[in-house]
Amino acid sequence: MGSYLVERSVFIDWISRLARHEKVYFPLPVSKSSFRFSRVRSRSRLALEDFDDPRQAKPFRASACIPPPVRLLAPDNELLFTFRRDSAGDCHPTPVLDHNRRILAGVRPCDLKAIALMDRFQGDGIADPYYLARRGNTLLIGHDCLQPCDEYCFCEAAGSLSWRQGADIFLTPQPQARLLVEPLTDQGAALLADAGFPACSDVQACRARAAARRPTPFARQFKAPLARVMHAVAESWQSPVWERHAGRCFSCGTCNLVCPTCSCFDVRDDFNVEDPDSGRRTRHRDACMLEDFAEVAGGYNFRKSPAARQRHRVMRKFVYLPQRFGGTGFCVGCGRCGRQCTVAIDIFTIATDLLAGAGEAA
Amino acid sequence: MKAIDPRILTPTMVRISEAADMTAQERFFRLRLSRPLGHRPGQFVMVSVPGIGEAPISICCGPGDHDRLELLVRSAGSLTMVLRRLEAGDQVGIRGPFGTGFDLADFEGRDVLIVAGGLGLAPLRSLIEPLILDRQRFGRITIISGCRTPADELFGREMRAWSRVPGTRVIRLVNDTAHLPWDGEVGLVTAPIAGLDMDPAATLAVLCGPPVMYKFVIMELAGRGLAHDRIFIDLERRMRCGIGKCGHCQINHLTCCQDGPVFRLSTVQSLPEALA
Ligand SMILES: Cc1cc2nc3c(=O)[nH]c(=O)nc-3n(C[C@H](O)[C@H](O)[C@H](O)COP(=O)(O)OP(=O)(O)OC[C@H]3O[C@@H](n4cnc5c(N)ncnc54)[C@H](O)[C@@H]3O)c2cc1C
Ligand code: SF4
Ligand code: SF4
Ligand code: FES
Repeated sequence: MGSYLVERSVFIDWISRLARHEKVYFPLPVSKSSFRFSRVRSRSRLALEDFDDPRQAKPFRASACIPPPVRLLAPDNELLFTFRRDSAGDCHPTPVLDHNRRILAGVRPCDLKAIALMDRFQGDGIADPYYLARRGNTLLIGHDCLQPCDEYCFCEAAGSLSWRQGADIFLTPQPQARLLVEPLTDQGAALLADAGFPACSDVQACRARAAARRPTPFARQFKAPLARVMHAVAESWQSPVWERHAGRCFSCGTCNLVCPTCSCFDVRDDFNVEDPDSGRRTRHRDACMLEDFAEVAGGYNFRKSPAARQRHRVMRKFVYLPQRFGGTGFCVGCGRCGRQCTVAIDIFTIATDLLAGAGEAA
Repeated sequence: MKAIDPRILTPTMVRISEAADMTAQERFFRLRLSRPLGHRPGQFVMVSVPGIGEAPISICCGPGDHDRLELLVRSAGSLTMVLRRLEAGDQVGIRGPFGTGFDLADFEGRDVLIVAGGLGLAPLRSLIEPLILDRQRFGRITIISGCRTPADELFGREMRAWSRVPGTRVIRLVNDTAHLPWDGEVGLVTAPIAGLDMDPAATLAVLCGPPVMYKFVIMELAGRGLAHDRIFIDLERRMRCGIGKCGHCQINHLTCCQDGPVFRLSTVQSLPEALA
């Protein structure tokens, strides 16, 4: 598949044109410091990272995109089915699946990896048809990172920085306000076929140039390889670290709500207030950090303390889901949970402390 | 390519053919299906009243090529309170069956010890029925079932009938007779285990009851020398999907709805979150 080397402004014009007849989503500013993946309209201002001065173009970063793009594939308040009662009083529920075609552009490597992980999770065992219907009709345009988001990010340590899998097209900033545009799937190539972009003669050199532009190390690093960190977390059930970190936790669930690999939900039924013979069931994001998440009828709570819930959240990312899905860590290192927590509880610090504890014990 | 079921999270409406209060808290339902569910003992369905909500309920009848589905529902909250008011002719929604359940082949030629606390008898009835129906395929059957008072007893008439089947012993217990007439024993379900005539190498035990019950019953069974891979436990968790996605029923790395709710004790004993 041929790649292209394009002026950034030309590419942005192309995206804007594409958005006239496709549902294109791109990180658009919602305030001075935060972005949200939103539908691109004719007057939307799109900004991409600049090679020569990554901070200058005030680019969107994964850090500033809260909530993560994977939420477009599993939105909050998602409709599961509607129902209607007929004149005989019989009820007829009908599932409502969203097969609309979408393009998500500007997805950073950590979020690409999160989507790839959720593809596996949602397709495992009995698949979630709602997620797969959306995902099957969604194209992803990835965007490389040349600078870490901020002091919370640890994507390289989490093994996400070079992630491209799942992207249909991948963008890499190049000098002189240009962009390497690589189609990675047939669908991506088809989308670019009529764009009229100039071909890139040396893709390897462009990639290498971008890689060399990154600082090393890239963002925060663990003091051991990721596999050792995951092992330390797995062995840490009795560790005092949980209590130390969870002591100030409010159990507010924000860390779950912003995490691109958290997907737990609750369901809610509603009658239509104007026509009580009809109604709907929707699902809503839920959070394992909330106190009653693991409570059963009769009041017994299987994770009563904030420390037990914090441990569950961290174990899920570093141990439980990797165990089920071939060893890949489910924390992509985006840093969102630590960044958004009001009391500065940071999964990177927790993992680091657990690793240190494991070293002492050995 | 794996087939994806677009209706997996949408209930199918079925009609109630029979509904009756069994105790002040539990109501028994028989549903008529348009085709057999093909369930295994120990599986559950998600039961809905659209507009009100949904909850996991164990299938309490044995498997087979029949269009019956039986449920015993305790009034515990918003959905189950509404279910309590439903009558024959009304509809409920069901999804499933979900979970692994029991494999009857595991029980072939074995002695079976069943320990049920309270509502735990409901899911275990789906196992007892096929054991009794095909009696000669299995060894001795012992059923220990306990509840609070005689007024709380579930399936009392059936338990008496099971006790008359050759090679089948039923021990019915209450914590307290509460001054009511009672033809069973008084005590906890743990009490009779020490005195049972039991060959630990030939026996499989099956447990279902409130979270607090397991530890004590398991201690008694261990005292009798029963290995942990010979003990099955049926666990309860909050459940919102039944397909391993909502996250509510996780027990460490397992999901109760997909990997359970029936587990061999040997599978979950090392999981700190499995037992209360
Ligand atoms: C595999 C399995 C099989 C089961 N089989 C049976 C069965 O055969 N028969 C039967 O009667 N029951 C069975 N149950 C239990 C049954 O599912 C629950 O009693 C049911 O979910 C109650 O639903 P509800 O809507 O009526 O109650 P809810 O309104 O959900 O409340 C019931 C109780 O659950 C807890 N709870 C629920 N939601 C919340 C919340 N948001 N916040 C705080 N607490 C909450 C509380 O303790 C509350 O008192 C089974 C459960 C499982 C997991
Ligand atoms: S760790 Fe922070 S964000 Fe997460 S529940 Fe606790 S207080 Fe809320
Ligand atoms: S756990 Fe935190 S850092 Fe890891 S993927 Fe989730 S939000 Fe990002
Ligand atoms: S019930 Fe949803 S994951 Fe088990």
